Amino acid sequence: MVELSRRAMIALLGLGAIGTAVSWPRLTGGDIPGRGDDALTVALFGTAQDAAARQALVEGFQRKHPGIAVRIVAIQGQDWSNYFAKILTMVAAGTPPDVVTVATEGTQLFASRMAHPIDEYVQRDGDELKEYFDDVNPALVEAFMYKGNLFQLPDNFNAPNVFYNTGALERAGLERPRDDWTVDDFFQVSRAMKKSADGNFLPYFWNNRLWGGVVPWLYVNDTSFLTEEKAPGGDWLWNRFYPNEKPRGGGPLWENADALNERTIESFEVLQQMVSEGLAANPAQGGGNELVSLFSTGKVGMTPAGGFWVQGLNDAGVANDEYDVSFFPKMRSQRHQFGAGGYAIMETSPRKDEAWEWLKYCISDEGLRIAHPRPDSSIPRRSINDELYGAGMGPKHWQVFYDTLDKFPESGPMPAPPQQAAVESALIKNVVTTITNGQGGVRRGLETMQRDLELALKGR
Amino acid sequence: MSTTTLSTRATVVPKGAKPAPEKKRGNRLLIWVFLAPTVIGLGIFTFIPIIGSIVLAFFRWDIITAPEFVGVDNFVQLAANPTVRVSFLNTIGFVIVAVTLQLAVALGLAVLVQSKMPNWLRTFFRSALFFPLILSAASVSLVMAYLFNQEFGLVNQVLGWFGVAKIGWLTTGFGAKVVVLLVYVWQNFGFTFLLFIGGVAAIPKEVYEASSIDGATGWRQFRQITIPLISPTMLVASVMAIIGALQIFDQPYVLTRGGPGDETRTAVMVIYESAFQQLEFGLASAIGIVLTILIMLVTAVQFQLSKRFVFYG
Repeated sequence: MVELSRRAMIALLGLGAIGTAVSWPRLTGGDIPGRGDDALTVALFGTAQDAAARQALVEGFQRKHPGIAVRIVAIQGQDWSNYFAKILTMVAAGTPPDVVTVATEGTQLFASRMAHPIDEYVQRDGDELKEYFDDVNPALVEAFMYKGNLFQLPDNFNAPNVFYNTGALERAGLERPRDDWTVDDFFQVSRAMKKSADGNFLPYFWNNRLWGGVVPWLYVNDTSFLTEEKAPGGDWLWNRFYPNEKPRGGGPLWENADALNERTIESFEVLQQMVSEGLAANPAQGGGNELVSLFSTGKVGMTPAGGFWVQGLNDAGVANDEYDVSFFPKMRSQRHQFGAGGYAIMETSPRKDEAWEWLKYCISDEGLRIAHPRPDSSIPRRSINDELYGAGMGPKHWQVFYDTLDKFPESGPMPAPPQQAAVESALIKNVVTTITNGQGGVRRGLETMQRDLELALKGR
Repeated sequence: MSTTTLSTRATVVPKGAKPAPEKKRGNRLLIWVFLAPTVIGLGIFTFIPIIGSIVLAFFRWDIITAPEFVGVDNFVQLAANPTVRVSFLNTIGFVIVAVTLQLAVALGLAVLVQSKMPNWLRTFFRSALFFPLILSAASVSLVMAYLFNQEFGLVNQVLGWFGVAKIGWLTTGFGAKVVVLLVYVWQNFGFTFLLFIGGVAAIPKEVYEASSIDGATGWRQFRQITIPLISPTMLVASVMAIIGALQIFDQPYVLTRGGPGDETRTAVMVIYESAFQQLEFGLASAIGIVLTILIMLVTAVQFQLSKRFVFYG
């Protein structure tokens, strides 16, 4: 047994104390660059590379506001709910960011609990913002309103359109679908594509998710799996910035489960038929990362995607004449879904004025051009969107991306109440069982979905 | 007994003599100095969170607003929630099948690898069979999701060569359960296998030789010699395998997200979803406590049964 004298013991403890003191910055994370600095902290959903890519945006902002230091914090996550959970953890740890990027999926969650409304700022700087609103479709702005208050300004959006493989269409001897094509036309196109293909080919590939999953098929049938109403309010914005628009209201409200209405059942029956005929994939869970390779190798005829995919396909070496884009086919209507993104100011932030300047800069002409030098997302400003996609990289009918909003003004955000994550889970987990158990299985599946949605939405 | 000392006033302690009280104190202090990092670490990162979780189970908390005391409401909620019930049933069913498979495969392979074969081959098999365990469960599951994709997965393509129609591996309840089970067992049997290797290697060869003289053949030797003599190893292996399987999360989360429906949803998935999707941290803690109690009960039963079935030679 080793024996230590008191002196040796004290020396050892002293060494331990010195070691702890020396490594304290590492132990507490105090050595992280910018930690503890008096800077505007902007959290974004992405990787360290994404944060680095925003550096030009920070530099542009600081040219205009040299007195405001900005620190970008990249938060990685598997999906939006994962990202929100991490933001919540930062809040719980007492280190909340000042500004966060939030997509439609989280707008109402943040608005109901954590975000600061920007109505006063927008009214104060209305003259400066007028040209922005003139350039932006009001549906995108309305999507960021919650119970009459505005919480974000959209700086990107994506609506699921039908991307189709031009080779598969030509091989089937078909012309580009008309803008007002119907679901029956969609079936005919799918069958013709399948018939003319050999080997492993699927006319329509889709993933089971909130964006681009079943929701587009519900929206084009003028229905959804949740009731949708408009909250009152918002006139202050509509009257001033969109005087020629019929006032839209104070943002969408999704408060009740509605999976058993006849139109929803009908839409699910359409999907069930597609899958049972072998025209559509049995939808896998996930984000569709495998899609680019399947689409580019001609194994898939059509798939739902948005403007973001143009850059993705280009990166994969797909020429822009090998594919094109069309609206979703019509059922009762041709309403499309979309998801949008923007920055929100945290209620806890002591730097709300600086945060507002950041928001304003990010939706300015200069800010948007810096943030989106490539066609990696549809841009709320029509002018920039047209330049970006019309510059040669986009498909032949790139106008579809923005026309989705302009030609179908009833288009709206995906259903994302404050309980979005639980609602999305309730939807996704029941989709496959609803459409893979024959016609009779549709109603049974939707009954379970209704039950799960009610549980997800209930307030305890 | 010789002793090493760092003391400047070093003395050799005669055998059998009691150490001076001062030295006793020094030794005790030294023990605590060495234990301190572990004790502090366990306290901060294990015991305090456990206590916090037990307390939290009686509150409603969404991280943002102040916790609200709700008594046993979270436990009432979880009992009434069909998804929670199904997830626990799934977990129990999964444990029964997965652990049985894991132990059977690991034991079978351990006996095979320990049988007559060149040393280099034995080393190769040991490494190869242990290898899946060191891979990230999430990465493995992602790759498997591609392999088992109904439309374009390699598994269905290979089956297609033999005229088998496309199977909805991840989109049918049975298929999804099979895939999750296979991936889990494939990835986790390596550790059990290593335990059994040790157990089988420790059985004296003379026992087998003696039984051979008495006319015992392979199967009988396995049943009446190998199994009883490695029963202590089997106890440890089964306890660890059951505790691990009760906590399955990564594979079903990445492969199926618990679907289709709730077919592959597990207890830990529901804990995660309750906390980080529904922001019901109290409910998640309550489910966690129920799962912990279940694990403790199962382990206690195993140790009770071990008195009857484990042979300590």
